Amino acid sequence: MTEGFRPYAGIRILDMTHELGRYATRLFADLGAEVLRVEPPGGLPDRERDTAAVPGGAEAFAFYNASKKSIVLDLSGNAGRAALADLARDAQVVVLERGGPIGADDIAWLRGLNPASVITYISPYGLGGPLADAPASDLTLQAAGGIAWMTGRGGEPPLRLPGQQAAMVVSVYAAVATAVSLLDAEARGRGHILDVSAQEAIAHSLQNAIQVWDLERRISHRAGEGTRDASENIYECRDGHVFLASPPTTGVSWKSLVAWMRECGHPSAEAFADEKWLDRKYRSRPEARAEFQPLFEAFTRGFTKQELVENALKRRIVMSQVSRVRDVLDDRQLAHRDYFVRMGEGGARFPGAPYKLSEPVWRVAPAPALGEHNALLARP
Amino acid sequence: MRPDFLSGIRFTDLTWAGAGPFGTKVFSDFGAEVLKIESMSRPDPVRRGGPFKDGIAGTNRSGYFASRNTGKHSVALDLKSPEGRAIALRLIAQSDVVSNNFGPGAMERLGLTYDEVRAVKPDIIYLSMPMYGEDGPLSTLLGVGMTIAAVTGMMWMTGYGGQEKPLGPGTHYPDHAANPYHAAFAVLAALRHRRHTGRGMKIDLSQVESTANFVGTSILEASMRDAEPEHPGNRSRRDAPHNIFRCAGDDAWCAVAVESDAEWLALAAAIGRQDLAGRPDLRSAGGRLAAMAELEAAVGAWTAGRGAVEAASALQMAGVPAARVASARDLVEEDQQLAARDYWQQLDHPEVGPSLFTSPPFRIDGERLELCRPPLFGEHTEAVLTNLLGMRREEIADLAEKKILA
Repeated sequence: MTEGFRPYAGIRILDMTHELGRYATRLFADLGAEVLRVEPPGGLPDRERDTAAVPGGAEAFAFYNASKKSIVLDLSGNAGRAALADLARDAQVVVLERGGPIGADDIAWLRGLNPASVITYISPYGLGGPLADAPASDLTLQAAGGIAWMTGRGGEPPLRLPGQQAAMVVSVYAAVATAVSLLDAEARGRGHILDVSAQEAIAHSLQNAIQVWDLERRISHRAGEGTRDASENIYECRDGHVFLASPPTTGVSWKSLVAWMRECGHPSAEAFADEKWLDRKYRSRPEARAEFQPLFEAFTRGFTKQELVENALKRRIVMSQVSRVRDVLDDRQLAHRDYFVRMGEGGARFPGAPYKLSEPVWRVAPAPALGEHNALLARP
Repeated sequence: MRPDFLSGIRFTDLTWAGAGPFGTKVFSDFGAEVLKIESMSRPDPVRRGGPFKDGIAGTNRSGYFASRNTGKHSVALDLKSPEGRAIALRLIAQSDVVSNNFGPGAMERLGLTYDEVRAVKPDIIYLSMPMYGEDGPLSTLLGVGMTIAAVTGMMWMTGYGGQEKPLGPGTHYPDHAANPYHAAFAVLAALRHRRHTGRGMKIDLSQVESTANFVGTSILEASMRDAEPEHPGNRSRRDAPHNIFRCAGDDAWCAVAVESDAEWLALAAAIGRQDLAGRPDLRSAGGRLAAMAELEAAVGAWTAGRGAVEAASALQMAGVPAARVASARDLVEEDQQLAARDYWQQLDHPEVGPSLFTSPPFRIDGERLELCRPPLFGEHTEAVLTNLLGMRREEIADLAEKKILA
């Protein structure tokens, strides 16, 4: 009876996310929830924004909306709202996003229809406060949340992270908060309303920058001054780049690295034998970084990525290849673990599950066409 | 509120450092009992890593540790001794979840594999989160958060654009969002699955596979087009102007992102450039992209004469996505939005005194989730062994004498 039961079997989610929250609902869909995109006749905003006409648009739509279903409801009319009310009475979860067809003003209405449901509202800055309605985008949220400040080169502008990270970060927080609330709603019959802010989600994921300011009155800065070990950097090699992190405090990595360089008879080994390279304070100075870079790069330039990684494995050094995106598709470890999935017959490789579960409950299916599942609206 | 959503759920939590404890913190914050098993010989490295209150190091003084371990109970145990392992198994027998983020092989060496644990608790949920997965040619590669960014393409794509050398995120980014929250989501799914099936589950979370989803759209693009996706840095591939601009003041910056014709017209008006608003060649995103240098110069000339907050506020009011690039200090001391939403919490701590915490990034039923302070090292060892395992005081004293617990 319970064979083949998927974790979110029996859960219906009415999904009106269109940018920030789409990955949150996808996580549920891949684990068995029925996620219904409730779309206006022209589609939710991402149908117009993420199209094949713009670079990366079609892929973004396919990735964020995989495994979901789509129904069309015209919520500007009474019939549409009545149909939504019918759906909401039976849906365990509703996920809304600012700028979607149903706004924050309707949360109380939805609550009244189904007091035991979980209603999650995702927005750039949260409900309330001076910026509740302020315009926002991925770039401005990465700025407002503090992560852009910490990335980039000193003396140059702060830098955002690639790939719509504001949406990714707020989505995983929203998914977790929704899942916890759902466990409680089902166990105790009490619903919950979640008001999730993308700015806050980013500010919650700044490593230890908040504490560095609070306890030591220092500002973590993109130049990494005073926080990063001199070795933590990217180095050129024969066919690309490697990343190294080898402070003397981490396992055998540093000792092993210097021993290897000496084995190879490389002159940088002697330079690194100097006692100052065992001093943590010295190693966190900008001049140590500047000195480290050419010394170590003179060594890595003699090897390929693969040779360097083989030695990192053998010698327990914290060093890896820096992959381009296409390299990730050919990563031998990912291939060994059969990570990528094929979407449909002969389809392109699609990113696999973020976790491997011992029960076969994770599945991904293509994103739905607009209104593909309208038959679900027919009364039984 | 102090939620009881997860009351009755118990973790034997062996995670340490950054990503693992950040994921299990969700559970203690929502009322689960998270028993953080700490080693005396190898303390959690973030207890040794700063920042420390007033810069003075100490096992119980790390702010980094504090921020990852609110509401947990610390049980200090030497897992490498047979007695320590036996105690761990007795705790596990009364737990719902066992979590670790060690490298492959570590749980075997401790005698705490999934099968060994299942023998004492058949419906256990077992979370492992090694960097590159449990098996395979690179599974034993050592790494930190930045290593995960390196092998997933995220480091490669983090740069100012063009052909230059990659820069990578300025933090160990995958440790602070992708991996802890994917892990927490998987455990929550496994809890619901168990509720309906009575069966536990093993979760093998490769942090590389998890983080690859955070750049999933780029990977899919590379896969579908068989080409390296462009990475435009602060710019956009779809519209312009879209960048971070220098403002008046020291290291002061404002992000401005035009993503539609309406936003463009609003921006041109706000910066007093009606001449640009009137130009037909700038009425489409494609035209604006072609004139990017000119438009960036126009915005930059305007922001250079204003403070970052002033510039951002004026543009927001005009309907243009804009924001001051905030440092940690700016967020704590000046951000009115975070303040208005009661984002910050002060918790008292026996050694550190009052210190600052970020709330979980949501309000729930109109309230903030109230955090409980992080534990001192070994603070709950005696209470847990007494109350949960029914061990006698002499027994505990004897084990403490033998340095098996603290």
